[in-house]
Amino acid sequence: MKRSSIAIVLTLALTLILAACSPAATPQPTPTASPISLIDGLGRSVILQSPAQRVVSLAPSNTEILFAIGAGAQTIGRDEFSNYPPEAAGLPSVGGSMGNYSIEQIVALTPDLVLAAEINAPELVKSLEDAGLTVYYLSNPADLAGMYNMLLTVGTLTGRRGEAESLVANLTVRAAVVEQKLSQVSQRPTVFYEIDGSEPAKPWTAGSGTFIDTLLNQAAADNIGAAMGMPYGQMSIEALLEADPDFILLGDANYGVTPEQVAARAGWEQLRAVKAGRVLPFDDDLVSRPGPRQVEGLELLAKLIHPDLFK
Amino acid sequence: MEHTARPYWYALLALLAALLLSVMVGSVFLSPSVLAATLWAALSGTPTDDLRVSSTIVFSLRLPRTVLVAMTGAALAGSGAAYQGLFRNPLADPYLIGVASGAGLGAVAAMSLNWRYDALGLMAVPLAAFSAALLTVLVVYQLARSGHTLPVTNLVLAGVAVSSFAGALTSFLMLNSTGELRRALAWLLGGSALTGWQPVLALLPYWLVGLGGLLTMGHALNVMQFGDEQAQQLGLPVVRARRLIIIAASLTSAAAVSFAGIIGFVGLIVPHLLRMLTGGDYRRLLPLSLLGGAAFLLFADVLARLVLAPQELPVGMITALAGAPFFLWILRRSRQQPHWS
Amino acid sequence: MLEVNHLTIGYNQTPVLKDVSFRLQEGEMLAVIGPNGAGKSTLVRALSGVIPAPPGSICCNGRDLTQLPVQERARVLTVVPQARAVPPGFTAWQVVSLGRTPYLNWFGQISRADEVLIREAMSRTNTLHLAERMIGELSGGELQRLLLARALVQATPLMLLDEPTTHLDLQYQIALLNLVRGLVEQPPQTAADNGQRLSAALVVLHDLNLVARYADRVLLLVDGVARAFGSQSEVLRPALLSEAFGIPLEVMRSPNGKYPLVVPRMA
Repeated sequence: MKRSSIAIVLTLALTLILAACSPAATPQPTPTASPISLIDGLGRSVILQSPAQRVVSLAPSNTEILFAIGAGAQTIGRDEFSNYPPEAAGLPSVGGSMGNYSIEQIVALTPDLVLAAEINAPELVKSLEDAGLTVYYLSNPADLAGMYNMLLTVGTLTGRRGEAESLVANLTVRAAVVEQKLSQVSQRPTVFYEIDGSEPAKPWTAGSGTFIDTLLNQAAADNIGAAMGMPYGQMSIEALLEADPDFILLGDANYGVTPEQVAARAGWEQLRAVKAGRVLPFDDDLVSRPGPRQVEGLELLAKLIHPDLFK
Repeated sequence: MEHTARPYWYALLALLAALLLSVMVGSVFLSPSVLAATLWAALSGTPTDDLRVSSTIVFSLRLPRTVLVAMTGAALAGSGAAYQGLFRNPLADPYLIGVASGAGLGAVAAMSLNWRYDALGLMAVPLAAFSAALLTVLVVYQLARSGHTLPVTNLVLAGVAVSSFAGALTSFLMLNSTGELRRALAWLLGGSALTGWQPVLALLPYWLVGLGGLLTMGHALNVMQFGDEQAQQLGLPVVRARRLIIIAASLTSAAAVSFAGIIGFVGLIVPHLLRMLTGGDYRRLLPLSLLGGAAFLLFADVLARLVLAPQELPVGMITALAGAPFFLWILRRSRQQPHWS
Repeated sequence: MLEVNHLTIGYNQTPVLKDVSFRLQEGEMLAVIGPNGAGKSTLVRALSGVIPAPPGSICCNGRDLTQLPVQERARVLTVVPQARAVPPGFTAWQVVSLGRTPYLNWFGQISRADEVLIREAMSRTNTLHLAERMIGELSGGELQRLLLARALVQATPLMLLDEPTTHLDLQYQIALLNLVRGLVEQPPQTAADNGQRLSAALVVLHDLNLVARYADRVLLLVDGVARAFGSQSEVLRPALLSEAFGIPLEVMRSPNGKYPLVVPRMA
């Protein structure tokens, strides 16, 4: 106990030092003399003569990244679903439901960079490129380290490299703290993460290869959805009863699903998690969007699953 | 006495209005003066920097899309008219013998393979859709054939069976592929992901050959309205004519679907309305359907851009909203008219 | 003119027509009679090429019809079908003009000469006043005359009529058969006719008295077999007809003594 608290103090101190050293203190974008040249997630070489000052984000995760690294003021447009941070909602929307974006709107905003994500079709990237725009496509990361790289990349593109580095340092420390606290866990609880329970007999869940799976592992828990062998799928209530998880996390809480509703579903009352009151609402945006809030998601998962370690 | 040119003029006028509207209207508002200045700058070859955005919007985005939509509308309505004549059923449409389900299967299969990002990779989806659509029609045709004849009932039944099968396969692929659900869904709802002139150029050869072929079949379709027996007694080689019509109509509609997404009901509404207005002579109905189909789909597309602006709806959603009630109305009407059983 | 030799037609091995042979001379009208299911319609369909027939079994002026392409066959032989369901969206003029199909290309462009033929055929069948009407609105009789006009426009030497009088009022039955009779009986063709003049007709008829009034020759089909073929006096005989139709029939002379009359024998 004593040693772990020393570690925490040390890491916190390190964070402060890193933050102090980083150019985050200077709010102006770092001026770069040479053009920025990067290979994006589609293998395209993207060249910016100078850091982007007018960025359109095509995904909620991209918007969150931009604002988190201090490029919020350089962001001039966003997709329909970007709702975080709240000030992002004030930006003009360029559409995006059913994968339909208004390319006209994007062109009319005259961005010097369009930030696409893996939820965007390559055809959209091509169309924007044909309309004379510079597009950078961010692939989904496999883990937190990959997510940190995304932050640094966007930092480079927007001239906010320094802020991105200090944010990464900060996040690294927070993740390390969680890892540190969980290091003593010997019994990993099992978790069922519900994405969509509209069909109570076969709710949708996330399997291996998803952010939630990775984060659950990192939060010292076993995702029972991993047994499906595919990223997303519907698990039957029979399989759920057999696995009988310790926890049920309601990723669909954002859509109004409550633990009471879950308890009322046929067959679900037999589940251990339901009986023990361990059906917990969870903000899915924290884990489904590959951005800085994933560390918050990790912390929250760890707290929910191992409450006694976080008293 | 039977060939008045008036319907053609009306259809041309409607098409012209639709073309203009389609270039003028979009999710970004361009005032008539800006539009005029943009057009003038392009015509006089003196581009100015403040017109850069408007000229990108008009010439790189709206114009190719307008042309693609017009071609698609013409293809769907033209082949719709042909299929209705072929099946002697006002409810037949280009999708009846598996074009849509085949194209959908091909497109989703190509999407789930995650092609590389290059010219070929980007054309993989429409090309796969096209090949699968033609393959599906071929399978339906082979299943429906009995000896040297091709009974219409067999065609319809084989079409339904094969379509269901392809639809189920599509769903299976969609559930098993990661992250492509939204993309596939958007495609199946009739949204064209590709912009620019590439899809227009890719569609053009099939469009020209297919519709050109169909336009020569007007008389044959007229004769076929009296049934196979009378058509043959009147000197029409029925089997050959039917085969030609199927090839031409399938080629056109499959190509249109593959490059513009699945757009329903155009092939149903347009020929039917025109038939009510100008009669059943296919020598007239086919060219009018091309013009009318192009105009109709352009208007639908303008609506799709405006209803939830700045979001653009898939145009197939608009045509389905207009088409489904219309379909039911035809169904009621045709029940009252015993001839069209 | 038309020679049918040992024609056998079978759906799934069971023959519908068995070894049927007959001849139709130029200037003649041949009536085909027989009870329902005797194979009359099948005969019409086989002759017009809708059902394939064995090579050599159907010849016209020395040409084997079974070997002719569809289009050429339609220049030799035309069919007046029964006026049943018709596609509603056509005008009467358009329907008649379809008779020119064997002479048109894929575009179906009608020439001036075609229009003259169409007009002539429509005035002959008393349908010219209907030209602009939609056929969905026409009566059965009007439609039947229109289909006759369509067949005339096809300009073939041979015409088959499949129960053309079924939908007609008596006056039109007479008028239609008079017209066909008149066409068939025209004087030998001139060079100007270009070989495209009707010179013989085969009529499937139910009404035996119409047969008696109009037919030069009669073919009696029973169970797919040519039970009798010959002149009226050879075929319209009480014993033969009674056996074929399964009821006792009598044949008498018309009051003016010119035609036979066939009537059921009353108890």
